[in-house]
Amino acid sequence: MLWQATANGLLLGGLYGIATIGFSMVWGVMGVINLAHTGFIMLGAYITYGLFRFAGLDPIASIPVSMIAMFALGYALQVLVLNRIIRTSLLLSLVVTFGIELVMVDAVSIAFTSDVRSVNSSYAASSIEVFGILVPVVRLIAAGFSVTLGIAFFAFLRFTRAGQMILATALDREVSSLMGINPERIYALTAGAGAALAGATGSLASMLFPVMPGMGVTFLSAVFVITVLGGIGSVEGCIVAGFIYGLVQAWAGYFLGANYQEIVGFGLFLLVLALRPQGLFGRAFFGEHA
Amino acid sequence: MSLLSVEGLAVAYGDSRVLWDVGFDMAEGEIVALVGANGAGKTTLLRALTGLVPVRGGKMRFAGADLGPLKPYERARRGIAMVPEGRRLFAGLTVRQNLKLGATARPDRAGEEDDLAFVFQLFPELKRLEGRLAGLMSGGEQQMCAIGRALMARPSLLLVDEMSLGLAPVIVDRIAEAVRLVNRERGITVLLVEQDVGLALEIATRGYVLDTGRITIDGPADDLLRREDIRAAYLGLN
Repeated sequence: MLWQATANGLLLGGLYGIATIGFSMVWGVMGVINLAHTGFIMLGAYITYGLFRFAGLDPIASIPVSMIAMFALGYALQVLVLNRIIRTSLLLSLVVTFGIELVMVDAVSIAFTSDVRSVNSSYAASSIEVFGILVPVVRLIAAGFSVTLGIAFFAFLRFTRAGQMILATALDREVSSLMGINPERIYALTAGAGAALAGATGSLASMLFPVMPGMGVTFLSAVFVITVLGGIGSVEGCIVAGFIYGLVQAWAGYFLGANYQEIVGFGLFLLVLALRPQGLFGRAFFGEHA
Repeated sequence: MSLLSVEGLAVAYGDSRVLWDVGFDMAEGEIVALVGANGAGKTTLLRALTGLVPVRGGKMRFAGADLGPLKPYERARRGIAMVPEGRRLFAGLTVRQNLKLGATARPDRAGEEDDLAFVFQLFPELKRLEGRLAGLMSGGEQQMCAIGRALMARPSLLLVDEMSLGLAPVIVDRIAEAVRLVNRERGITVLLVEQDVGLALEIATRGYVLDTGRITIDGPADDLLRREDIRAAYLGLN
């Protein structure tokens, strides 16, 4: 049973990792702690639910839809709202993003009520057995997609011109602008990409968890812990820290009981802050905000 | 026809005035030195030209356009490149990545590889170190990389802030030679901002002396080098 718990933890860990990448990037690149991030996760889940329920679309096929829709929303919010307040104060960006999160949750509550929904794909209940461990197919899919998207985003930052412009702006906004890079456009691109990953997270989460307006917020503590554990702004840090967090939670549940999962999770958070505040992988890219 | 003309420029940080009524001109193809003591306002002048500080008054025209309403990235795309004081490379990125980022502002993607080859020819050590993290190189290598990064934008005006600061004389000579070559062969107009007055006036054709926020002396570089007051104040000679 310990092996079962370990497998469950690792499978969930992938999803936690990708849930965090966008949040961590936005924090690292522009110094904004975006509390609306978990709202994008929730909206992504509702997009998948809606397309499944009303159009019969397979949840996996709806991932690109979630990503594109959340990219557009994240980009627009950055251009219309966040770019105007980003240079003012941390408190203001916290308040504004928290407000945006509330609006999203309330809008969904009005549209879909706060009833619990679920996405029951044809393969929702099937699982495969490996060495006596039962691996639910949807969890395997979620973990596989998460890691793939994480690696794709890592490659985007490292190997494309747009990705390099994001890193450059994170490292030194002023010098980047001397190089012809428009920081506000880069911030919008970063916010859009971060929201797109959150949207994908929501689509995957809808296959694993009940879909409801408050589901995004349940990711918030994991997202914070993993951001700090992996190092702010570090994509590879998010992926590895996601697995660590998933494992720690699963083991806490197995050895201590489900009630202790959150406590152990936050204990890990405090431990990292006390012992290694720069995160496991050090500062991600010598960034201004990280 | 001047490439850059500045008239009545005034800059202040809060209540403290840094530049008063600064005016100067640069013709296409010139190397101009802007010299002065530490704290005279040289770096502030460059920050005003590139749009990094707001100006309180005055006019800046570049290639026929008013710079005033343009943001820093727009000015860069119009052909103003800067080598910032202290290099300010992207320390966590490689030399090659730094150079490629410099090309963001350039008008044509097509000539990018040619310019990269030109930079490698100018500073062969950059070719050797292209995979190295910029933050792990020596000061001289970093300065070469910073100049290369600025050149990758294929600018018409190159602003160089304190290119000699903290570098060994042999490196300074090479960098000075590179600036001359870039000016001669590529026709890039150069504004050198230097504390090392002797060095700057040797490279430049004309010079301006900035003293506590005002331009006090200007003229051909050779004349300035011979002036008693400049020799006494900035070159430590009598």
